[in-house]
Amino acid sequence: MKRRDLFLGLTGLPGCTRDTRPRLNVYNWSAYVAPETIPGFEAEFGVRVRYATYESNEELLAKVLSGNSGWDVVFPTHNRIGPMREYGLLAPLNHSWLPGLDNLDARFRAPEWDTGLLWGVPYMWNGTGIVYHRKIKPAPSRWADLWNGRLKGRLTMLDDPEDMLGACLKKIGYSFSATDPGELRAAEREAVAQKPLLRAYLNAEVRDQLVSGDVLAAQLWSTTAQQAIAAAPDLAFAYPAEGFPFYCDCAVILRESRRARLAHQFLDYLLRPRVSAQIVEATKTATANRAAQDLLPESVRTNPVLYPPDAIFGRGEWPRTLPPATQRLRDRIWTEIKSA
Amino acid sequence: MKRWLAVYAVAFYAFLHLPLLTLAAFSFNASRFTVWDHFSFVWYRAVFHDPQILEATWNSVVIAVWATAISTVVGTLCAYGLWKRGSRLLTGGLYLSLVTPEIVTGIALLALFQWAFRWLHWQLGIYTVILAHVAFSISYVVIVVSARLRTIGPTLEEAAMDLGANEWQAFLRVTLPALVPGIIAAALLALTVSFDDYVITSMVAGVDSETLPMVVYAMARRGASPVINAISALVTLFFGILILISEKVREA
Amino acid sequence: MKLRRWFLFPAWLWMALLFFAPFVIVLAYSFLTRGPYGGVWGPWTLENYQRLFDPLYLTILMRSFAMAAAATALCLLFAFPAALFIVRATRHRNLYLQLVMLPFWTSFLVRTYAWMFLLRDTGLINTALEAAGIIHDPLPLLYNNGAVLLGLVYGYLPFMVLPIYATLERLDPSLMEAAADLGARPMAAILRVIVPLAKPGILAGSVLVFIPCLGAYLTPDLLGGGRTVLVGNLVQNQFTGARDWPFGSAVSITLMALVTVLLWVLLRRESEPLV
Repeated sequence: MKRRDLFLGLTGLPGCTRDTRPRLNVYNWSAYVAPETIPGFEAEFGVRVRYATYESNEELLAKVLSGNSGWDVVFPTHNRIGPMREYGLLAPLNHSWLPGLDNLDARFRAPEWDTGLLWGVPYMWNGTGIVYHRKIKPAPSRWADLWNGRLKGRLTMLDDPEDMLGACLKKIGYSFSATDPGELRAAEREAVAQKPLLRAYLNAEVRDQLVSGDVLAAQLWSTTAQQAIAAAPDLAFAYPAEGFPFYCDCAVILRESRRARLAHQFLDYLLRPRVSAQIVEATKTATANRAAQDLLPESVRTNPVLYPPDAIFGRGEWPRTLPPATQRLRDRIWTEIKSA
Repeated sequence: MKRWLAVYAVAFYAFLHLPLLTLAAFSFNASRFTVWDHFSFVWYRAVFHDPQILEATWNSVVIAVWATAISTVVGTLCAYGLWKRGSRLLTGGLYLSLVTPEIVTGIALLALFQWAFRWLHWQLGIYTVILAHVAFSISYVVIVVSARLRTIGPTLEEAAMDLGANEWQAFLRVTLPALVPGIIAAALLALTVSFDDYVITSMVAGVDSETLPMVVYAMARRGASPVINAISALVTLFFGILILISEKVREA
Repeated sequence: MKLRRWFLFPAWLWMALLFFAPFVIVLAYSFLTRGPYGGVWGPWTLENYQRLFDPLYLTILMRSFAMAAAATALCLLFAFPAALFIVRATRHRNLYLQLVMLPFWTSFLVRTYAWMFLLRDTGLINTALEAAGIIHDPLPLLYNNGAVLLGLVYGYLPFMVLPIYATLERLDPSLMEAAADLGARPMAAILRVIVPLAKPGILAGSVLVFIPCLGAYLTPDLLGGGRTVLVGNLVQNQFTGARDWPFGSAVSITLMALVTVLLWVLLRRESEPLV
């Protein structure tokens, strides 16, 4: 590269390139679109998409809470939509621009967190359960099986207060969204009792350790679990008998966005059966899109990890937004568990 | 004595380099898991065909170059000014900025930018990242340059002044040349911390400013992908060559 | 002296805009109240500081100081002979110096992952030991405090080597030679002569290592498997997961205050300050 070009490159910061196509800024979870999803939208609509990824709802909220983050479309989990709406961060959806909403699965047409689908379009969902190695006999089927001393050092739980405490609550028969301090303290005692057995608190990183056999059992999200199972057939997944949570990530448009029409077009593009099916094929997630499911191969559509049968689905619980006082107690309990 | 030092140095450099060399070795492994399969360039092809990685690398370079340039100049001038006559307030600020945990610096800068942008219609982006990097690398530069200044001592400059040089000439002709090794060390340090930073960058980054460490972090969180091994090998190789060249230039 | 004013001007500007202003904001936050779902609200309160006296948070603070101190001591132990070696090298001195920096051009995360790769059950160390027949079951090398300490030392070692080297380099070479060749006990000569002379570098290096170690949160998370909380994790969690910015700010301000006092005590007796 000539020195002059290098200089121009350094000064010509990416924000002021000569590309005059309209731009849409999309901030999504990592590994949540197919390689062809974004280029396909850019080509069809003659626009440019700035696409970046995050790893947690907290990371997302820290960015968008100010209302001038620059993003147009983001994908919070369902129980974050309420607080985001109360903060005035979300733009209401215009259903006449979203004909693809009809493609949604009946379960997601009027979800309890947003019954009129006024703020977010359900995108992908998953549950939390137990991945385990088939050589464990008997196979774990309940959260309580993760308190088994024989798993010492070969067991992990999620590094996520909501899921980790939730499993403890479920083990002793309480709701995932429990608010009663007595119940939460009881769950804390369970967690502290379990801690000596744990190798670590891990999220997606545990996948490789499951595949290699370092870890024999883990609390994990179903989509991540499915990726591990695909790589190592010795692994299996169980939705625990006591009950378990479901999460649904939803596409929302931020109120700060000045490209509402284009953002809606993007949301509707994601709702297309073929686009959604491509994403599922590429990322092994569970789509909320009924029409897309019908395009998937039989083996994917009936995969019991990604799309549990109705009997199991009924045991699931969609975590609610917690009242501030409960959230605060849970934060403290989480610190106590980690510090124990 | 000398022999013991040499033996120690071998162990020391092994400790520094072996972990990354093994990591690099496995970047040529065809399997995505840490069991050796066969030799392959598949992960390197993945790096060069991933527009996200390429763009993030470019962003990282732009940010690191700008942040290093600005903070080295400001830091060197500041170190020299303080060396002439200290300022408790400024020194205190430098200390405080140094003792601030990265995460706090990141949050504080994010809060500042978000507060300021209420009036200015700007958004988080590459400029805010550069500003943030300058903010945290200046104290590193000042410390390294100050250490150098103290070892030089004031006598040289005093002698120059006695011989009729004015303040400016004494600085430019006497002190600055003697400072060069310190400035280079400081710039290298600033470049490292800038190119390396994840915590603060991830806080103040916005649209168009995803850096290489952010991409690596995202990949690492999804599991240890060999693409990370390939990136680390490439980056290390690149800087290795750069350092060798600078070494040759210096010897010439 | 006119020159000095101009030289300091950019630094003053930096301090006012990029350090003092954010600091004031954090300070203000630390006296405010957490909003219902995060954010910062009125009224003004001292409650965030009162919470700090909870034994839970005091323990975390003590643990972090112990960890950072241990990492600093180990860095010093490893870095000093290395810096001495580089200074005393007759040829390729600069190359040796650059070799110290080389691993640190890659991301901090990559370096941490390198150790995860080595330490895990099916990692290289365990595999090698098993192949050699020394052990039968993998040693639990990863996800404990030892691994965290190792990660911190590995991560911040060059920050100790560089300043010590910079100071040693300015020493009179004949002094170094004399000290090294002195009689039968060169070790004692080094300890009595060179170490005191290298004190500015040692102090600078210790500060450069201690501070990031104290605030570290990626290393305990990745190598410690999230099983311990250091103050960095506490702060990080307050700012992200718990979204309790006021309490996170109070912890940060306290942390900064403690470290400042510590540094002041440490550097007050030292005739040569860092800056």
